[in-house]
Parts: sequence; structure tokens; C-alpha cells
Amino acid sequence: MSYLFDEEKGARYLLMGNDAIVRGALEAGVSVASAYPGTPSSEIIENLSKASDKRNIYVEWSVNEKVALEVAFAASIAGLRSICAMKQNGVNVASDFLLHVALSGSRGGIVLVHCDDPGALSSINEGESRHFAKMIELPLLEPGDFQEALEMTRWAFELSEELGLLVMLRSVTRLSHASGNVRIGSLPGTDKTACFKYDAVPGDQASGPVVTMPVPPHHEALQRKLKKAVALFEKSPFNTYTGPEKPELLIVTCSACNLYSREAVRLLGAENRVGILKVGTTWPLPPDLIRKNLSRTDTILFVEEVLPFLEENVKILAAEMAKDIGVKTFHGKNDSTIPMTGEMTPDLVVDAIKRILKIDYAPMPETFRNKAREIAAKMAPVRDLTFCPGCPHRASFWNLHNALEIDNRRGFVCGDIGCYTLGLLPCGFSTSKTSHSMGSGIGIASGFGKLTRFGMDQPILAVCGDSTFFHAALPALVNAIHNKSDVIFVLLDNSGTAMTGFQPHPGTETDAMGGNVPPMDPAALCRSLGATVQYADPFDVDATQAILLRLMEEKGARVLIMQQMCALSPEKKGKKKYRVSVDQEKCIGDRCGCSRLCTRVFRCPGLVWDADKGAAVIDEVICAGCGVCASICPAGAIVREEAV
Amino acid sequence: MNAAGPNELRAEVFEKDLCIGCGACVSLCPYFKNYNGKTAMLFPCTQEEGRCFAYCPKVEVDLDAVSRNMYGEPYSMDPIGRYRSVMKSRAGKMVTRADFQAGGTVTALMTYALAANKIDAAVLTGRDGLLPIPAVVTEPNAVAGFASSKYTSAPTLAAFNQAVREGRRNLGLVLTPCQALALAQMRANPMKQKEFVDPVSFVAGLFCTWALDYRSLRDFLVEKTDIKKIQKFDIPPPPAGVMEVYTESGKIDIPIDEIRKRVPNSCDYCFDMTAEFTDVSVGVFEDSTAWNTLVIRTERGQAMVDGAVKDGYLEIGEMPEENLAHLKLAAGNKKKRALERGRGQGMVKTAKEGGRAAIRIDGDIAGMA
Ligand SMILES: Cc1cc2nc3c(=O)[nH]c(=O)nc-3n(C[C@H](O)[C@H](O)[C@H](O)COP(=O)(O)OP(=O)(O)OC[C@H]3O[C@@H](n4cnc5c(N)ncnc54)[C@H](O)[C@@H]3O)c2cc1C
Ligand code: SF4
Ligand code: SF4
Ligand code: SF4
Ligand code: SF4
Repeated sequence: MSYLFDEEKGARYLLMGNDAIVRGALEAGVSVASAYPGTPSSEIIENLSKASDKRNIYVEWSVNEKVALEVAFAASIAGLRSICAMKQNGVNVASDFLLHVALSGSRGGIVLVHCDDPGALSSINEGESRHFAKMIELPLLEPGDFQEALEMTRWAFELSEELGLLVMLRSVTRLSHASGNVRIGSLPGTDKTACFKYDAVPGDQASGPVVTMPVPPHHEALQRKLKKAVALFEKSPFNTYTGPEKPELLIVTCSACNLYSREAVRLLGAENRVGILKVGTTWPLPPDLIRKNLSRTDTILFVEEVLPFLEENVKILAAEMAKDIGVKTFHGKNDSTIPMTGEMTPDLVVDAIKRILKIDYAPMPETFRNKAREIAAKMAPVRDLTFCPGCPHRASFWNLHNALEIDNRRGFVCGDIGCYTLGLLPCGFSTSKTSHSMGSGIGIASGFGKLTRFGMDQPILAVCGDSTFFHAALPALVNAIHNKSDVIFVLLDNSGTAMTGFQPHPGTETDAMGGNVPPMDPAALCRSLGATVQYADPFDVDATQAILLRLMEEKGARVLIMQQMCALSPEKKGKKKYRVSVDQEKCIGDRCGCSRLCTRVFRCPGLVWDADKGAAVIDEVICAGCGVCASICPAGAIVREEAV
Repeated sequence: MNAAGPNELRAEVFEKDLCIGCGACVSLCPYFKNYNGKTAMLFPCTQEEGRCFAYCPKVEVDLDAVSRNMYGEPYSMDPIGRYRSVMKSRAGKMVTRADFQAGGTVTALMTYALAANKIDAAVLTGRDGLLPIPAVVTEPNAVAGFASSKYTSAPTLAAFNQAVREGRRNLGLVLTPCQALALAQMRANPMKQKEFVDPVSFVAGLFCTWALDYRSLRDFLVEKTDIKKIQKFDIPPPPAGVMEVYTESGKIDIPIDEIRKRVPNSCDYCFDMTAEFTDVSVGVFEDSTAWNTLVIRTERGQAMVDGAVKDGYLEIGEMPEENLAHLKLAAGNKKKRALERGRGQGMVKTAKEGGRAAIRIDGDIAGMA
């Protein structure tokens, strides 16, 4: 039986943090779930979509995070419970709406799950989303283990309804993607009706229009709600203390760092010397709880990811309470006991405790550790980040790179967010020269394209995937076209949101629940905006480069759609278009005339350099049969035959 | 001794803005491409020694070695290089009239060479608008279609390299001096390739004082006329001081100062006005646009001219002493300017001097320059 549907209260499952959140939402009777995909948050909506039929949930992959939150919010003020999930920087996108949601208040329980990515394991930033809770004035919960992920999610809906306020629930990669034992609760009925009531006067939280004006009384109401939250948090079972009554050192921690702190204390055998205060309700902080725990000792260590959020907020309270609790010595990020950036690990916590308590502990002798590191470095093959074999992006960047070099005016590509972010790296021939938030490639390009009056004559290109196109590139493209910016917008259309696992987007024909929806045609959209639109198949390298070169001679906003299905696309999987082999007699190899173009520069993983024979070979297991390498070999040594 | 690879080529030629886009390094491998008259390097290559560097006429050209390979003698101090005779010439009655730049000598010689099977194919330079486009021609009648000068520098040798890759041999070429210098280096097999056979049977050189940068000229002319409809260019001898652009709707005169701005940096260092490393060289004839100046340099060149005259493809006449003196003066001036400039910037060296050079000549460079 799937954990999604099991009715047996108390049954145990090994669940990923994201699954535990899903189960918590199901136990809370969630009716609407929306998200924009982004690691490490994507599984939440994916798994809820599997329960959409049986649990009567409307599930949606929205066009971007802001719209996702708007969709979830509509459900809330129609009296339903709703959940919205996103990755850390998604909150930035949603934040404008979030600010107004805080002020207007909500009705049915609404929970925003935001998953941070400390260490940027699958992100190009290490954004800290917790500060939004403080900045926008919303309650924030942080589960400290997998069981809590479930229970806290379930409770977050009740809390949201009790306060009439959206509740933020923050996870991190190591919680969302790691697994632990979870005991499930019971599932409620699925019968619900939605109705938006607006007949009462504005400001009537239960049945008036939902607005933020006039602002002062709304803001005051928000402050009252937060006060109420503090009162509830004082009694919350999600804030726990473990350790001796009067420890030498108090660790204040939250989220996955709770697990690292426990592990570190155990490793050091310091259970009698160190106490751990795990805070689950990290904003607004309950002062009595803090006072009680800070009174235990004078030395405090904060362990959290990424920025010193808990640390700074506790310190403010400690300053206010100094008369009662005395002066404390604080260790954490601000005094560099704990690094300010990157992921936390039990080792880092061990290190910090050792230094503070002057404990002598070597997990392994230094020489052994160095040796181990050395051997590991030698044995592990160097694996650069690269595109998959047969990936259309490799071909696309090959064409972009070559066309830009051939054009010879120092043109460049403004990159964007998706698999093709790798266009920055050697696997994308280092073609992209900027990379920021979603949709910002074309936005930046739009700006570059207006610098001709200052003598800038470099061709400006921007790339963007089909999902990113709808997410945030459209307004920037509108801007570029309207302002007659000299840019080429290259849409890398691989028919799906490949990077995060092929979630549908407005360009696809199915929705999150598998239903039929009308696909939007980016080309038609661009044309209706007034741009000239051309198509190219990136696997046809000569034709694509010729089109790019021609476009670079033109002015104004130009759109090129490079169309080729992702190598991993479910429709393509397993099918090789070509059988490809190398005629080793013809191969020029390492000599003048080729210099190993295929294995040194193009570097599809399907191509291997056979040093003994001095020729390239195809690894048939890895090769996806796209046939592109046959078109780049200067000797015609790579042969492709149509596979039958 | 002074051999090097593509990375030096990039550093010494591209980064110093000395590439003229001759195409000698193009189509040998995937790394160099010529587009809009400019050659670009697409990716770094790891060869320590490469044909690209060896062939390039803008870096480490050992003039004595090139000359010995061609003429069996070291580099000549004569302003117009080594030659057997100089005369005036023009296309004969066997040649269909076309838009010759001057007397049509070049068209005549190449048409004859193909018709008499002296060569199997000719590498010529046509154009699309202002853009020179090299091509390989096998039909004698097709040669006239390539008549007239394209004053923008052309990657003619890229087409030659491509033809050789495709297995063509016994080729004839029409080349500017820099292109001819690159070809002369190629023919010396500098990389000592075992399978090397000289694929060249005849080279006609063009006189050249400078060429123009395509993009720059195009962007300038596009404001003045429909560049697709340009019929011909001419640079009448001084004191005209203009470049004439013939279009369907008449002639446009472009002041020579505007034109001069569009001359690539590379031409300022070019010492060769008369294409010194060819079988014959052809330029305009001072007194009449209906004739050419023809310099015969090699035995092969002599034989080709004799054959063409005999079969009625070419008419020749005597070169007045005064014209020859004029020619030598002009060529000598160009040479002196370029060598002085190059010497001053450490680009012209003797065989023994260290560091990278553009050109090496043994003997009294200072005296010559
Ligand atoms: C860039 C340039 C500068 C020149 N400068 C001078 C000068 O300063 N003084 C002088 O006396 N003569 C100069 N010439 C030569 C002159 O313009 C004539 O080409 C020459 O007199 C031959 O005339 P023709 O009537 O025999 O040529 P045609 O019979 O008209 O034949 C012309 C031939 O030149 C070839 N050709 C045209 N353009 C190019 C090019 N860019 N690169 C390589 N091949 C080309 C074509 O393949 C064609 O076969 C120059 C030529 C060029 C291309
Ligand atoms: S690109 Fe072709 S010639 Fe070069 S190494 Fe690969 S197979 Fe051999
Ligand atoms: S055909 Fe060539 S480029 Fe395509 S997957 Fe196979 S090895 Fe890679
Ligand atoms: S060394 Fe050879 S392979 Fe390398 S760039 Fe030069 S010509 Fe090409
Ligand atoms: S060989 Fe010709 S095209 Fe290549 S770098 Fe030298 S001058 Fe430029």
C-alpha cells in the first residue's frame, strides 16, 4: 500500500522529507496544490498529483511561483486548504504577492513549503528564504526531522486557520531528499465545497472582500496575528530541549542541523555537557522559551543553514532580556565558529564544540585523513558536469559557439536557468557569459541590445528553455521587442521541463493530473508580439549555424526556436535514431588536421579516445544515436546509419 | 626551427590584428573558419606544430627559404622580385569578352590553361555583392564569369585547401601577393608530410597595394547604394584620388581617404606589390586600361604565356622602359615602407635573430629597407 492512501494510523513508512510533507498535507485534507518545479521541492507536487483522483485534490504545475501562490490562495479564501511548493529563489518570485497575502489574511489553511538548497547542490545560488518570514511578517516553521515534517505540515494548516494567515514551512535539501522512519496519522474525508464569500464589510476576515486597504488596520491586524502566533509557539511541542538541566554549552538549532548537532554531541560523547534546543517555530520566536533555555548556561552555539537567522533573532531577544538572564557568550556564524556559507555537516559541528569546550577528539588521525583524501582523489574519475549523450543542448551550444566565433565580433550568450545553464561550462563550450535568475537572460540581453549608441557592436544572444520562457522570459521578451533592442532570443525547445523531471508546462498538452490542456505555442506568441521567428534543428549543425550567422547580420529583436527533443524524453527513451561507428582507418585522431575534435572538444560521453589505436571509438552502450558527431568530424570518419 | 602551432598563430597574427583572411589556414582542419572576409579560430588546438602556422603569410615567413624552394636562389632585392621578363598583354580573340578589370590577361591565361589541359581546375574568386567568394572551376568558358577585381580580401586559399582535400591535383590559381606567399610556403611542404605532392601547376599573381575589409566597406557602401547591384570597382591611377563604384544606376566616386580607412592593418606590413612568388604576375598598365602589365617569373609561366599567345588567347607587346621604371619605383616604395615599419616593430628579422618574427630575410635588411 502506498503511504499516500494508507488509512492505518500508526503505520510506519520509510519516507523522504518531501513525502512526509505530502502525507502531512493529505492528513490535513488539502484540496488544492500548486507549484513551479524546482529542486529540492519538486516531488511534493509530483506525489500529490498521484493522489489527485483518490483524495480529490486539484494539482497544478503553475507557470511560475507567483502564480502558483495565487492559485493556492484562491482556494484558501474560497474556504479550502491549499499547499504551494517552491525552491528557495521561488519565494523571491512569489514575494510581491506574499507581502499582500500577509496583509489581507487568508481563510482555509494555506501553507507555503519552501525548500532551501544550502551548498547549492542543485541551484546557482544559496538563497536563504527564511528572512521573508520576518520581512513580510508571516509565521515560519522548520521541521527538525522526518516525523516532524509530517506532523508540522499537518499542524501548519490548523495554525494557518487559527491565525487567518499563510504559514511558511521551510525544508532543506538534506531533509527533503533524505529518508527516515515516519509514523503516519489518519486521513480525513474528501468531500469539500468551495465558495468565496465577500458580502460582509472589507476587513471582515471571514466573509468580506479580501483586500489590503486600508493598510493601517490591516497591518495592525497582522501584528495581532503574529502576537497570537507567539503565544501558540510558546507551547508548541515542536520546540524541544534535550540535555542536562545545566549544560556547559547550549546549542540552538533548527531544521536538518538538529540532526547534525545530535550526531556531533553523540560522536564526542558530550551528552552530559551539551544541551540542544531545537526550535521548530523559528519566526516569530517565543521569548519565554528562549529566556528559559538561555538561562541554562552562559555559552551558546548556533547551528543553522545558511545565514545566521536564528542566531541574530535570538541575540536580539537576549539583549532585551540581559537584565534577567545575564551576559552570554555567543558562538555561531557571526564569530566564524560556524562557516557563513555552504552546507553544515556533523564534522563542522564536532569541530565547533571541540573548540568551545576544548575537547581533544580526532575522528581519524590527520595523516590517515590526508592519505584517504589523496587515494579518493586518485581513484575517483574526474567527472565534469556535462550534458547527457545525445543531448540537444550540446548541439545547440556547439552551433551557438561556432556561429559566434565565426561571426568574429565578440558576440556572446546570456544564459538562463535549466539544464542549459551548463552553457557556461566547457560542456557548453563556455558560450554563456551571464547566468542569473529565471528569465533574466533575455532581460539582460534586452539591456545589452540598447547599448549600440555607446559603441557596443557585439552580437547579443539570449537562450532560454521552453518552461523558463513561460515562467519569466515573456515580460523581458516583450520589453526587448517593444524597445527595439538588438537581440537574438534563442528558445531551446526540448519539449518538457527536463531539468526537474519533465513536469508539464504551458507548452505541453497534459497537466499535472494527466488531463488534456491546450498547449501554448511560443512561436505564435513571439510572432504576435511582432518578432520574426525562425526554426532550426540543432542536430543539423550546418543549417543551424547558417541561420544564426544570418540572424546576426540583422537588427532588432529576432527569435530562433531550436527544436529537438531531450535525449531523456519519455518519447525518445531507448530509441536510437542512428547506429554510429568510427572508421578508425580514416580517423585523423591526435594529428594536425583534427587534434581529437570529437573527444577533446565536442566531448559527448558516447565518444571515447582509444589511445592505443590512436583513434576515436563509439561507446555503444552510452551513445544515444543522435548522429551529431558524424557531422562534426573533419575526416568523415564517424559514420552513421539509420537504425531500423 | 621556427615552427609553431595554432596557439602562436592566434597570439602572433590574430591578436596583433595581422590576419588578412587569405584562407591558407582554413579547411585544413575544423579549427579555422573564414566568414565575411575574416578568419576566426573556433577552439584551441593542442598541436605544437601545425600547418596553419607553417602556411600563414603573416608569421615566420623565411623569404630566403621560400625563394630557394621556388627559384633555387635566395630572396631577390629587386623591387618586383625575381622575373624573366616584363611586357604588356591583353586577352586575345579566343577569349569571350567579359567585365575584365583591365586587359583580361588573367582571364585569358586561366581560360587557356584549362582549355589546353595545362591544369585540371582553376581556383578563382567571384563575389556576391561585395563579398568575395572563391570557387573551383573546370570549364574554360566559366573563367570569364570571375573577371574583375574584388577589392576586399578573399579567402581564396580556403577553396584551394578544400579542393586538395577532395583529391584535386594539377591546379591553377589566381592569387594576391599575400595569398601567393602562403601558397609558396605550402608548396615547400614545411611539415615534411610523407604523402605530400605539390598539387599546383600554375599560379597567376595580381599586383596589389592594399585590399579592403569587407564588413567595413559593406557598412559604408550600404548607405550609398544597393550593394547587390554593384557591377565593378576601379581605382584609376593618381591623381584621380577616388575609387569608382559602378552600379546599375551609374558610377559613384568614393574619396580615397574614405577607402583608406577601410584598409586592414595587415596591409601596412605587406612588402610585396607584384606577387613575387608566382609563375606570372599581372597588374594594370599605366597608359591604357585595355592592357595589363605582365611579369613572367618562371619557366612554367613563360611556357603558359607562349602557349596562350600561340593559340590566340593572349596578345603581348613590349613594355616601355619608362613604365617598368615606374613600376619598380612604386613596388620599391611599398617594400621600403613595409620593411621599415616591420623592422621598427621587431617584426622583420634575420634568420639568426631570436624571438618571433613576421618575416625573416638574411643579408642587409637595414640597407634594403
Ligand atoms: C585587392 C586587389 C588590389 C589590387 N591592387 C592593384 C594595384 O595596386 N595595382 C595594379 O596594377 N593592380 C592591382 N590589382 C590587380 C588589378 O586590379 C587586376 O586584377 C589585374 O590588373 C588583372 O587584370 P585583368 O583584366 O587581367 O583581370 P580579369 O581578367 O578581370 O581577372 C581578374 C581575376 O582576379 C581574381 N580576383 C579578383 N579579386 C580577387 C581577390 N580579391 N583575391 C584573389 N583573386 C581575385 C579573379 O579570380 C579573376 O580571375 C589589384 C587586384 C586586387 C584583387
Ligand atoms: S573527429 Fe573524426 S577524425 Fe577527429 S578524432 Fe574524432 S573520429 Fe577521428
Ligand atoms: S551519435 Fe555521437 S554525439 Fe550522438 S550520442 Fe552517439 S556519440 Fe554522442
Ligand atoms: S595545428 Fe593542424 S589541426 Fe591544429 S589548428 Fe593548425 S592546422 Fe588545425
Ligand atoms: S593564414 Fe591567412 S587567414 Fe590564416 S591567420 Fe594567416 S593571414 Fe589569416
